[in-house]
Amino acid sequence: MIGLLVLRERLKEFYARYGIYITPVIKFIFSFLAFSLMNKNIGFMTKLTEPLIPLVLALVCSFLPYGAISFVAASFMLAHLSGISLEVTLVMAVFILVVGLLYYGFQPGDSYLLVLTPVFFLLKIPYAIPLIVGLSGGIVSVIPVGCGVFIYFTLLYVKQNAGVLTNDLSSDEMQKFMQLMKSLLANKLMLIMVLAFVLALLIVVIIKGLSMDYSWVVAIIAGTIAQLSVIFIGDITADVSVSVLGLFGGVLVSLILAGIYTFFVFTVDYTRTEYVQFEDDDYYYYVKAVPKLTVSTPDVKVQKINARKLQRPQR
Amino acid sequence: MLSEEKIKIMTNLAMFEKHEGKRIFPINRYFKSDYVSSKLFRSFFSYTFSFLSCLLLWGLYYMERWLNTMDLKSLTGTGIRIGIIYAVGLAVYLGISIYIYMKRYEYASRGMKVYLAKLKRLDKRYDGNTRSIKRIKGGRTS
Repeated sequence: MIGLLVLRERLKEFYARYGIYITPVIKFIFSFLAFSLMNKNIGFMTKLTEPLIPLVLALVCSFLPYGAISFVAASFMLAHLSGISLEVTLVMAVFILVVGLLYYGFQPGDSYLLVLTPVFFLLKIPYAIPLIVGLSGGIVSVIPVGCGVFIYFTLLYVKQNAGVLTNDLSSDEMQKFMQLMKSLLANKLMLIMVLAFVLALLIVVIIKGLSMDYSWVVAIIAGTIAQLSVIFIGDITADVSVSVLGLFGGVLVSLILAGIYTFFVFTVDYTRTEYVQFEDDDYYYYVKAVPKLTVSTPDVKVQKINARKLQRPQR
Repeated sequence: MLSEEKIKIMTNLAMFEKHEGKRIFPINRYFKSDYVSSKLFRSFFSYTFSFLSCLLLWGLYYMERWLNTMDLKSLTGTGIRIGIIYAVGLAVYLGISIYIYMKRYEYASRGMKVYLAKLKRLDKRYDGNTRSIKRIKGGRTS
């Protein structure tokens, strides 16, 4: 444990010293991952699938704020979708426009969640999203997370039905559009996932704020149980197929990720909790003070001391 | 000569401006009612535009059924229903907007008070250098 705490302090120091370089690198990795995964999964516009394009776009994005990165990613996605079907592009464009106007009009500053949620789905660890977002943000974050789930499942639908949706087929445009809308709105797995994520996020946010010991750990476990319960109930009642092995693997990795996040953000020592009580003119205060667990990094300096060779007078 | 205390206060002020400046100064230029109503104006257009976009999708989805059963009565009924949904949605959205922007204005006002208090503290350091502190009746300094 001490070793880990020392590592954390070292990482903090490292970030404090090189933060100006680390932030663009993180943004680069984030956007490169998003663009490459889009190219791999919905690369319908062949001009954009050149390996150099995600690289250049990610380089540009590393100097942009997260809101602008999300905008670039949305444009990239719409460009790919326009390569297969104008109907899907229209639906997605309207969806993004509505979310952008109604939710991001308030400038909540969490637009990266719209990109991060589908990325985590593609990395097979989506269950980490409600846990980490619940620990780091507020209840309002259910909106971008829910929208992220919708975007992922729409893209998945497009990927799986690329043959039917393709522009070249001379089938009725209206028929295709109606089929698409029906499939999107009646996608039970998507609805179950949205429900599981929203419920887990709410539970994590509520439990995290409770004044009890180990509230963050309890929140993570309760959030995971909520997700699993909703998915299993949905699996039985709505007859959707979820790969059990993938589910447990994803949940396990998500738990580890949430644990790592907790370790870096909220490491406290509950054994040294202090309860104090005092009053002023207006209130009585019942204060619970939990000390943070910190260590100072050992400052090791190796100094070589070489004994001077004594020059003996030769006889 | 460098005054360490002044440097500390100025650094503190600069940090405060950097972190909170965006959320305080643009809002404090307005009166509360002006700020909230200007934002509501924007919210109204955002909602109307979003509603029209969704209506377009909905219209396309049901177009075939419409064309098959073209009937003035059902069209009027649909129009009234759309109007009601629009009005209720608008009222809810504007309600949320009022709540959020009122909170933001209050946050900005409180932030401005903190900022002014910090400025005053800095100003006193300058006064202390140039003026001798006079003690007036009641123990307060001027």
